[in-house]
Amino acid sequence: MTAPVAIETHNLSKRYGSLTKGVLALDRVDLSVPSGSVFGLMGPNGAGKTTLIKVLTGVSDMTSGEARVAGFDVRRQSMEVRSRIGWVAAEVILDDDFSGWENLWLQAKLQGLRDWESRARTILAYFSLEDRRDEKVSHYSTGMRKKLEIALALLHQPSVIFMDEPTIGLDVGTRRMLWDIVRGVRQEYGVTVLLTTHYIEEADALCDRIAIIELGRIIAEGTPSELKAKVRADLVVLETTEELDRGALTALPGIQELTSQGAEWTFRVASSEQFLPQLLASVPPQRIRRISVEKPSLETVFLDLTGRRMGQEEPMRDVRKFYAQVRRARG
Amino acid sequence: MRSQFFGLYVREILRTFRNPFVLLMTIVQPFMWLAFFGSSFGNVPKQTLESLFGTGDYIKFLLPGVLSTSMLSIGMFGAMSTIQDKRFGFMKRILITPTSKGVIFLAKAFGSATRGMVQIPVMVAAALAFGVRFALTPIEWGAWVAALLCLALGFSSLFLAVTAPSTDWQTPGVVANFITMPLMFASTSLFPSRQFPSWMQAISSANPITFSALLGRGFVLGTAVDWAYLGYLAAFAGAMLLLGFAVSARWLKVE
Repeated sequence: MTAPVAIETHNLSKRYGSLTKGVLALDRVDLSVPSGSVFGLMGPNGAGKTTLIKVLTGVSDMTSGEARVAGFDVRRQSMEVRSRIGWVAAEVILDDDFSGWENLWLQAKLQGLRDWESRARTILAYFSLEDRRDEKVSHYSTGMRKKLEIALALLHQPSVIFMDEPTIGLDVGTRRMLWDIVRGVRQEYGVTVLLTTHYIEEADALCDRIAIIELGRIIAEGTPSELKAKVRADLVVLETTEELDRGALTALPGIQELTSQGAEWTFRVASSEQFLPQLLASVPPQRIRRISVEKPSLETVFLDLTGRRMGQEEPMRDVRKFYAQVRRARG
Repeated sequence: MRSQFFGLYVREILRTFRNPFVLLMTIVQPFMWLAFFGSSFGNVPKQTLESLFGTGDYIKFLLPGVLSTSMLSIGMFGAMSTIQDKRFGFMKRILITPTSKGVIFLAKAFGSATRGMVQIPVMVAAALAFGVRFALTPIEWGAWVAALLCLALGFSSLFLAVTAPSTDWQTPGVVANFITMPLMFASTSLFPSRQFPSWMQAISSANPITFSALLGRGFVLGTAVDWAYLGYLAAFAGAMLLLGFAVSARWLKVE
């Protein structure tokens, strides 16, 4: 028996602007998010993560395709969907002129709730905010503001919560705290969480399933283990003081693929443990600036699928090339 | 829908009253008009004033006009509050709840109009301080307030409709300048229309500010009042509310 589905899209596309000059932000996205799961949408900036959330929450209209959230059609039953979803923004959005309690009051009014006070008190207690509920939220710390925003999203007992890059710009401690909250919220309140992130460790730590999105298309989907299993290779990155003979390196046994940028060489190998001794034997130690090994991770999955690292834009490559040239020129 | 309207309307009101600067400016601006513009005819002989304005007390003539003009400018605050909500993402927060764009518009329009109503007691008190004496019946007070409320609702709706598709901070100011100046001067809010050229008289005779100023002036000066003006103003408010609702439901930009 398959688990019920909280979010489902079929051939979902979203175009900004005209057919000829516009941008295709979502390109025939097919997605199925099981109820009660934490589902991660992972991709670099501009991949289409936020656009997908906008379309699924009804803030933005889709160009074509279908989408259902909490069992309702996003386009035709928008109000039904919006009364069953919560939203946590990348940047904290609260009414700073209001206290924490007044923000909850407003959210209750917007959701059309009648008996909301006891639930609000329970949620505030869960987030350890009850002592500060009557203070203006402009006096709250960043972590408290994030907690209150999640409390707002939970007030009307939604089936699905959308979290759009919820930890962006937070320090490590607050980020870890939010991870615990997301895990706790799923366990305590049984909601489905769709979370977008470009932090690989975040997706790995939190999500039951992950979809990798790139240029508006879902390019892979599965559990973190399933995705990592697709790579079946280690990456060995070697940085040298000067360029080496490519032919000699390619001849080393066990290499599946070799790429280079200036004096940086990336070897894709079946086993880094077997490959490293042979590499060290073939490159003079004085020429080695740095060696690193990457075991299969979501980062390597992304690299494997797209040919670049998450967050590595084309201009960055140029900068790295530039610095490599500077180093070479200096000898 | 009632719950969402009530929540957003109360939010508008609380935000105004919790921002002392906005409140102060809302009150001070029409007061300044009364003080400076009203005093500008201070040394004009009474007979001249009576022949021009039908009263020897220009402030008495001016008060209903300035109050009417103030209802025109408060629309700008509603539009600015909407743009602030768009820029700071709050509009998105509202719309990811079962709240329609039309309800957001109504809450903003009524919120602005209510803010405008705050000016009435302040201005009346200021006029009393300038020596104006009122002899209005409770029905006349009620009708005058209702006229000003209709005017405020109408212009708030108009501002919100024009700025619905915009997220630019500058838009409300530009629209205010565009709408305020011609409507204010082509009305009887500051001067009687007798001296206007015919084309300005034509605009003035269809201008809601004129209806409100004439109605209020009739009550304040104790002269004949055309109660049909109240009907025109109600029709103006109704038409602008419908327009604003339809435009916002279709074109209110979220961010």
